[in-house]
Amino acid sequence: MTTFADSARSYLDATTGSPSRTQAWDAFTTLGLPTTADEVWRYAPLVDFDLDHFTLATGTASPAPSPLAVALAERAGLVVRLVDGFLCSVEGELAGVSVSTVESQWSQKYASDAFALLNCALAPASVVVSVADGVNVTAPIVILNTITTAAAFPQIRLALGRSAQASIVEYLDGGVDALVVPVSDYDLAENSSLQLSTYQRLDTSAWHIARSTGHVGRDARLRQAVISIGGHYNRSRNDAEFLAPGAENELRTTFLGSGDQVHDFRTRQFHRVGRTRSTLLSKGAVADHSRSVYTGLIEIEKGAKRTDARQTNHNLLLSPHAHADSVPNLDIRENDVMCAHASSVGPLDELQRWYLESRGVSRPDAERLMIQGFFNEMLATLPAELASVVERDLGEVLQLVEIVTP
Amino acid sequence: MSVLSISGLRVDVAGKEVLKGFDLTMSSGEVHVIMGPNGSGKSTLAHAIAGHPGYQVREGSVRIDGVELLDLSPTERARHGLFLALQHPMEVPGVRPVDLLAAAGASRVDLMARMRDEARRVELRPDVLERFVNVDLSGGERKRAEMVQLAILRPKFALLDEIDSGLDVDALGAVARRLQEATLEWDCGVLAITHFRRLLHELTPTTIHVVSAGRVVATGGPELAEILERDGYEPFRIE
Repeated sequence: MTTFADSARSYLDATTGSPSRTQAWDAFTTLGLPTTADEVWRYAPLVDFDLDHFTLATGTASPAPSPLAVALAERAGLVVRLVDGFLCSVEGELAGVSVSTVESQWSQKYASDAFALLNCALAPASVVVSVADGVNVTAPIVILNTITTAAAFPQIRLALGRSAQASIVEYLDGGVDALVVPVSDYDLAENSSLQLSTYQRLDTSAWHIARSTGHVGRDARLRQAVISIGGHYNRSRNDAEFLAPGAENELRTTFLGSGDQVHDFRTRQFHRVGRTRSTLLSKGAVADHSRSVYTGLIEIEKGAKRTDARQTNHNLLLSPHAHADSVPNLDIRENDVMCAHASSVGPLDELQRWYLESRGVSRPDAERLMIQGFFNEMLATLPAELASVVERDLGEVLQLVEIVTP
Repeated sequence: MSVLSISGLRVDVAGKEVLKGFDLTMSSGEVHVIMGPNGSGKSTLAHAIAGHPGYQVREGSVRIDGVELLDLSPTERARHGLFLALQHPMEVPGVRPVDLLAAAGASRVDLMARMRDEARRVELRPDVLERFVNVDLSGGERKRAEMVQLAILRPKFALLDEIDSGLDVDALGAVARRLQEATLEWDCGVLAITHFRRLLHELTPTTIHVVSAGRVVATGGPELAEILERDGYEPFRIE
């Protein structure tokens, strides 16, 4: 039997032994997979996890796009199609926007992250979407990433030049019995602005372990939303680093858990310098026997005066068997800052529900409206023409979720 | 013609009896006003009839055309023609008015257009209809928005809890005029709760009820408002 390690090694050989990939692979084999004894992995069902269960994607598959992918593509100015992280096609043209691939690079920052190391070693390439200096892209850019039954390691880099503006929607689907490990970097040059929404609709059998880092320059603004529906285990780590004064990050992460899913959200807002701002809103709902954890770290460097960092986490419990944990962490090494965090875990608001019922809305409809509303708030970063598509899709997903009122 | 009849209604709030045998009967197309001092049980009446979870009905009956509302869920009460406009309409984040109304049974046909027409009639900026229900709305906007919902749902009876609180004269006028027109347009019965007389400058009551200590203690025509204006609630007080 061919092990995952065997297929990885033959893949590395085929990439003519790229030193960066080999370095990442060696670092991975030295580090090994994490276990639940490791605090940051304690909620992951790693006892069920076996790398040898997965086969490395080869980039030869060409699955038909889902109806939702088609609907999103129809409303985009530029469509970037990936299968298992392999760049398949770029459709449309937008002035000042280019799509290219460069060789996967390993970064020291992933030295202790086994899955990110795997990505650095095994990603087909780094797919780079660049927006040139001063270009304001008015039509949305859609990145469609379809996953087959495979181990996929998509690597994406979005780079906005000085004073550039763009709205990008990333959509992931497919992934039956797959392992999906995306690594993304978002580089925002001075005074640029990126609205980025990631809609994760993988199959509920997939292992999805994603990591993104925003590098936000002077007076630049990253508005990011991550909406997660799929995955047997869905881990989404979203970091932002503030590189110069005036940098801003607004991050909204949300999930809907059902069945026995585990949603594991991690954030790190790293304020290296002062006069930077982060606003983080994490909201999720857990039904059936699903569970979620939100762990958010705000880190403020000594001397980063007048940093403004806010973190809010709300969790809805839709079943007595569902569970949500919220773990805010603050690491503040400067006094002259504004920092706040709040969190809550509970069922749907009884009085809001009554208000809807008092208008003639049935209880199940009232609950669905409220849960859909809970998510609608999170869709603010989506361009309006795409938001309606995602809203409708979320509505259909919600129809399938059983809501048990305590 | 429809009839709303409330009889012998006893309601507890947090284990304390607030309504102590409340009786009132009205017909569609009429405007009844309930007046009384703070703490007399006016708001309790509205909330109990609409099935608010914090109010326990101990005894009594509330019927529309013979159908006992107290046996029904809040949803079914609304579907039998009851509408409660709250003093502080709740914010429902993420839910748009159009979706609320469609889920409440309003026809989707031209719904947005009809809502915009109704918004114009109560001088509510139409873009408010695009926002989530009552979120970031001023007190006046909320009450005008409640009138839009009322006009789309066309209930047999509209209960209005302290509709004049926090409203400026313009908003109060717009809301009162819309209610008055509703009595003619679809024969809506209006049961308005207030402790200010100024509402009556805009809304012409058929009947006024004075409430004290959880009961109706006097019922009369519009002239009752003038007596209240002159003498206050003191002569009506019972304990």
